[in-house]
Amino acid sequence: MQATKSFEQAFLKQMLLGIQLSAVSHGSGSLQERKSAIKLSADVAMAVARGSKKWTRGLIASLSKEEQNRSFLQFVLGKEFERPAKICHSSWKIPRSKNIVRRSLRFLSKRKSNIRAPNSSVLAGTLVEKRTQVLKRLVPGGQSMDAFSLLDETLDYAACLRAQVDVMQKLMTTLEASKHSDAQRPKEKFHLLPMVGSWYSTRKGLRKRLSKRPKLTL
Amino acid sequence: MEPRGSSGVGSGNSGTYTPEIAESLRFEEEIQSLIDPSFDASSAAGGSFTALLGLPANQAVELLHHPGPGEPPASAATDTLRLPFGCSSTFVERAARFSVFATDDSPASSSGGGLSPGLKAEPPDSDSPPTLPAPAGKPRRPSKRKECEKSKVSRRPRWGFLSRKAVAKKSKSAEENTSAAKPAAEENTSGDKLPYVHVRARRGQATDSHSLAERARREKINARMKLLQELVPGCSKITGTALVLDEIINHVQSLQRQVEFLSMKLAAVNPRIDFSGLDHILSAECGPLAVASGCGGGASDPAMWASDTAASTGGIRRMPAPPQIWHLDVVHPQQSSTVWENNGVAHPHFLLSPATSLVGYDPASSVPLNSNRLKTEL
Repeated sequence: MQATKSFEQAFLKQMLLGIQLSAVSHGSGSLQERKSAIKLSADVAMAVARGSKKWTRGLIASLSKEEQNRSFLQFVLGKEFERPAKICHSSWKIPRSKNIVRRSLRFLSKRKSNIRAPNSSVLAGTLVEKRTQVLKRLVPGGQSMDAFSLLDETLDYAACLRAQVDVMQKLMTTLEASKHSDAQRPKEKFHLLPMVGSWYSTRKGLRKRLSKRPKLTL
Repeated sequence: MEPRGSSGVGSGNSGTYTPEIAESLRFEEEIQSLIDPSFDASSAAGGSFTALLGLPANQAVELLHHPGPGEPPASAATDTLRLPFGCSSTFVERAARFSVFATDDSPASSSGGGLSPGLKAEPPDSDSPPTLPAPAGKPRRPSKRKECEKSKVSRRPRWGFLSRKAVAKKSKSAEENTSAAKPAAEENTSGDKLPYVHVRARRGQATDSHSLAERARREKINARMKLLQELVPGCSKITGTALVLDEIINHVQSLQRQVEFLSMKLAAVNPRIDFSGLDHILSAECGPLAVASGCGGGASDPAMWASDTAASTGGIRRMPAPPQIWHLDVVHPQQSSTVWENNGVAHPHFLLSPATSLVGYDPASSVPLNSNRLKTEL
C-alpha cells in the first residue's frame, strides 16, 4: 500500500510537471495535440515514477522513436534519457543458442507431424502461444522478453496502469469540481487529491531552479 | 559472499538444526576456499546448495524446513522441495546439499554478477563422492541411493543438469548481452532472488533433464500466473493458462483505453482551467505527505504557478509548515522529509518496492488513510 501511494505521488507530480512543460495549459492547439501531449506526459510520468524496469525502458524507447517527443523526453529525463534510449532497441531479440534453436525446431517438426491427431496439449500450447504474442505486443518492450519475465513485467505494468488510471480519474474529478464551482471550499476535495500536496511543497524549490535552466517551449 | 555466508551461518543457530549447521559450516569453508582465488572444475565439486542459493546456510535450511513464508520464487522452490512421501527431512537436506555444483571458469562466472560465482553444475555422480568432505552421513548416501525408491533417487543427479542448463542459459545470455552493452540482462540474472529452482521430480514422472527443466520453468510461470490472477479482478476462478491470459490481455487493453480516454477528457477540460484552478486546492492541500523524489532531473518549474496561490481564494489557509519547507527545498529536497518527520508525520518510503508489493493494490483504502492523516496533522 505504501508503495502504491508513493508511486501515485511521484506519478502525479511528474505528470503535472510534464503537462506544464508541454505548455498545453494555455489552451493552445487542437484537442488531439493536447490529448497526445497529456498522454505522453502521463506515460513518461509513469515510467519515471516506476523506476527501472524492462517495460519502462521499452516505453521510453518507443516514445522516443517519434521525433516530436524527443525534446520533451530529453528535458524531463535529463541525462537518464540518453542511456536507455541507446540500449533499448525495438528489434532486440533474445539471444538463443544454437542447440536450443535446433531442439525447438525438432519439436516443431514433431508437432507438425502430429497435426493430423491434435491432442489437447498441443492445442493448449498454441492457444497460449497466440495469447503470449498478443501480450508481447501490449506490454511495452515485450518483444524481447521471454515468457517468464513477460509475465513479471505484465504484472508490474498492469499495477502501474491501474494506478495511473486512478490518479488521472482523481485529477479529472478535481478539475471538474473546481471548474464548476470556484467558490466552493476546497476542503471537500482533500480526499480526492491527497498526493498533490506533496508535489506542491516542492514548487518553490523548483521555481528557484528554473531560473537557471532555459524554459522549454514546444 | 564470504562474509555473508559466515555471518549467516553464525546467526542461524536454531537449536534443532545443529547437525546440519555443522555440516553446512564445513561446506561454507570449502566454498570460501573455492571462491577465493581460482576455480578448479575437477576439485571444486563440493559446492553446496546453500552457497549456490546465495543465501546463508540458516536461511536455506529454514527454507527447507519452513517453506511457508517467502516470495513466490522461494515458495515455488520450497513447494517442490516439500516431500510428498514419508521420507525424512534430513535426507532431503542432505540430498539437497550434496547435489553438486562446480564452478566454471572465473570470467564466465564473474560476468554473471554476484550470485553466479559458483553456480555452474557438473555431473554429480563421479565427482561428488570423492571430493566432498566426508561427514558421517556421507557414506550412507550411495547406499541410500540404492535403497530408496528409484524414482526419487535417480532424480537427484538430475538437479545438476537442470541447474547447469539454467545457468548455461543465463551465462550465455549474460555474455551476449554484455557484448551488446545491455545491462538489463545482467540486472535480471543478479536481481533474481533465487538463481536456482530446485525441483524435486514427483513420483512416476519423467526424469529426463529436458522435462525437468520444462517442469521447473512451468512451475515458475504458474507461480507468476497466480499472482497475476490475484491482480486482475475476477480471474481467480478461471482455470487454465489460456483463459487467464485472455483475461489479463483484456484487462491491460481496457486500462490502456481508459488512459487514452482520460487523457482526452483532461485535454477537453483543460483550456477552461489552465491549471491555475488547481492552485487553491493545492494550497490548502499542503499535505502531510512527504515528497517522493521520483524525478531525477527535477525538470523545470511550471512558473505559471507563481504567487497567486497565496492570494487565491479557498478560504482555508493551513500553511504553517510549507513556507519552511520551501526554504529547505531550495537547499535539498531530501531535507523536506526530515521536516515532515519532525512534525510527527511518518512519511512513506521513497523507494519503490518491487512489483509484488503492488499486487495488493487497493485504491479505495488509500483514500481514507490519507484523510485520516490530514486530520491528525491539522
